Amino acid sequence: MKPKTVALILAGGRVDELNVLTYYRPKSAVPFGGVARVIDFPLSNLMQSGIERVAILSQYRSYSLINHIGIGAAWDMVGRHRGISILPPFTGFGHSDWYRGSADAIYQNLDFIRYHDPETVLVLSGDHIYSMDYRPLIDYHQAKGADLTMACLEVPREQAHRFGVAEIDDEDGSLGGRVLRYLEKPARPRFAWASLTVYCFKPEVLYQQLEVNAREDDSYEFGRNVLPRMMFERRRVYGYKFRGYWGYARTIEEYWQANMDCLGASPRVELASWPFRTNLEHGGVRDCQPAKIGSHALVKDSVIANGSVVDGQVEHSVLFPGVRVGKGAVVRDSILFYNTVVEPGARLDKVITDVEVRIGAEVQVGEPVPPAEQEATVVGSGNLIPAGRRIGAGCTLYPNLAPEKLARDLGPGEVAR
Amino acid sequence: MSDIRDTLVLVLAGGVGSRLNVLVQTRAKPAVPFGGVYRIIDFALSNVMTSGLTQVGVLTQYKPLSLMKHIGTGEAWDFTGRTRGVKILPPRTGAKESDWYKGTADAVRQNLDFINAHPSQDVLMLSGDHIYQMDFAEMIRFHREKKADVTIAMMVVPESEIHQFGTGITDGSGRIIDWEEKPKKPRTNLASMGIYVFATDYLRRVLAENREEVDFGMHILPKAIGRDRVFAFPFHGYWRDVGTVQAYWEANMDVLREDTSISPEAWGIRPNIEAEGRRYDRPPARFLPGCTVRHAMFAAGCRIEGEVTDSLLSPGVWVKKGAKVTGSILFHDCVVEENAVVDLAILDKRVRVGKGAVVGSGPHKEVPNKLYPKHLYTGITVVGKGVEIPAKMVIGRNCVVEPFVQAEDFPSTFMETGATVAVREAGRR
Repeated sequence: MKPKTVALILAGGRVDELNVLTYYRPKSAVPFGGVARVIDFPLSNLMQSGIERVAILSQYRSYSLINHIGIGAAWDMVGRHRGISILPPFTGFGHSDWYRGSADAIYQNLDFIRYHDPETVLVLSGDHIYSMDYRPLIDYHQAKGADLTMACLEVPREQAHRFGVAEIDDEDGSLGGRVLRYLEKPARPRFAWASLTVYCFKPEVLYQQLEVNAREDDSYEFGRNVLPRMMFERRRVYGYKFRGYWGYARTIEEYWQANMDCLGASPRVELASWPFRTNLEHGGVRDCQPAKIGSHALVKDSVIANGSVVDGQVEHSVLFPGVRVGKGAVVRDSILFYNTVVEPGARLDKVITDVEVRIGAEVQVGEPVPPAEQEATVVGSGNLIPAGRRIGAGCTLYPNLAPEKLARDLGPGEVAR
Repeated sequence: MSDIRDTLVLVLAGGVGSRLNVLVQTRAKPAVPFGGVYRIIDFALSNVMTSGLTQVGVLTQYKPLSLMKHIGTGEAWDFTGRTRGVKILPPRTGAKESDWYKGTADAVRQNLDFINAHPSQDVLMLSGDHIYQMDFAEMIRFHREKKADVTIAMMVVPESEIHQFGTGITDGSGRIIDWEEKPKKPRTNLASMGIYVFATDYLRRVLAENREEVDFGMHILPKAIGRDRVFAFPFHGYWRDVGTVQAYWEANMDVLREDTSISPEAWGIRPNIEAEGRRYDRPPARFLPGCTVRHAMFAAGCRIEGEVTDSLLSPGVWVKKGAKVTGSILFHDCVVEENAVVDLAILDKRVRVGKGAVVGSGPHKEVPNKLYPKHLYTGITVVGKGVEIPAKMVIGRNCVVEPFVQAEDFPSTFMETGATVAVREAGRR
């Protein structure tokens, strides 16, 4: 059975983003929202859209990602005509190399696409938090006979310089239109439909463009190389106007905000109403008992996953499975990854702790001020912060620090490595 | 001597457990939810897994559907693989005889072919009805050391409860020399937990002796004692037969306690949340601004806007603004609407408590249910699966609302303490 659409997820670049949270894992495997990994969003979207032939292109520290994907059963992608393949870089007779960019990663795996011979190739980034049914996008792409259709989101003009932005005519009104101009991270943007790195390609055009890119260019990115060339060649490039939530977590502050978007009375990210799946097998999450809230606990405006035990105060925070918050401890505006332990009397304000972190008794991290007035402190995985330590706002602690690195207090913005 | 891991396990999961009232109207007792995300049989199956045993048969009879769905391939307890497996064994027809299981021994007798197909030195028999943690490998080792024909796991229980159990009197070596089934005047405080290790050859022999002997506790064991080598394996730890509403409620509350001696997760008890059959996963429990939660447990997908104390909430429960839940157990996807109150109640799956309604009202917790005085007499009100409680309805203590009762089935907006309401038209659900 020939799949109509084959999807490829770009999930493996070493991005200098999210600080120490991407020390041991690609961005697509970074935990989110108390239960998920970022890549769960594109995978759940694919499942919802009935696209069941999927490849994940991964090269940076891919173990965490491979572990999370498993055999793909969590997204129902196991079967005679369904599957998730993880495609790492490989050596071959001719060209062999690490993936040199997003376009090169696809180029090196064209045989995978050719083997399945689809009508449409969907190229996605594994790094974004959003809920989207790809079917209307693909239908639009087909209806227009487009060479490329990209999903775009209108962003505030002053932020548009951070994105690849398109000018879209109003050929089809609110649905989308022909892309008139496309600029990658322009200094002074005059239009603001930002590309979401959700591309629908006509296969032959993709093959041809990637071959030219591999032959003639010296960098290998869709945004920087392939799209500008297609615009220059006046190819049929269309923009599909997306209007939902889109979590673009490139900085720690954005990542923090996207997690906080899961909170409140009517959260911007409401996972309960998104068609959402994750691999509960990963890390044994499925075997956790319900979250236990103690007699002296105080919980306000938070999400708390199974397997957590809260005896202290948790406010406006996201707790992943297996987190412990001891008596008299206070956790505010924070994100605590799997198995973080906060001992009694500790105080955390705007802190992100990676997995297996232990915060000693009476430790203070961050300042007890509103979150807008300080930057988050990020504690890398496996760290043990000794009792009584003071760590300022905006600090970075690299993973698994030797005890002597934490033998003194850290001032605001310090980096311990 | 064969490897302990090769010991065949039979889980007797056919009991009705009728004293659990509405909780077992739609499922067998082993399939009753427990501790938020578990079902009672998870304790037996997980103990089997953590003891390293890999060959399991589950004997079912009463309403086996939810149990079968829950066990699935057995993958949740690591029973899948070339040398592992869990089989459901319902009663069946055959060339010679066919009948329902008439008792525990009869059920095993009817499955001798299963035992013969899995050669093992000993057979471990468990009930799927209990909340406990136990290392069965240790018990099998004990059984072999004693060169026993049968070994029975036994524990000390309070004298006031002993009349519910099979009891044994042991000599200094641990050998059981006398047996009394559910004695009125007990001579011992040592009670059988319904966990037996039989030497397989011996088991075949005693089952062949007399086909009229259909129950282990009533027939087979009393006869064996004095004649054969029957030993007591002493157990010290948490063990509850959650066969009554009160015992079930208390064991759930034990999970909540901070100084608890029961921690399913630490015990290695595995639920099977995959068996819920949901299209999408539930996100973590959400606590909204303005909620109050204390001394309570919340499974994934809960959404808490009101007040919840001393309670245990299964996945997907929604407690709306101004609502108050105290001392209660709420199963999957219950909704407690604005300003409703739930006090000292057990709500089965998908119960909706209407705006301003009260479940568990009034001071007379000691007035038993009129229809089921032996089931409900401590104040707990039970509400069956899928019940719709209309807005402003007031329900007393020790009440029973049968599964699938809808707003129009309630005769008035007040249900007095000890009352029962059922669906009016038979066949509608």
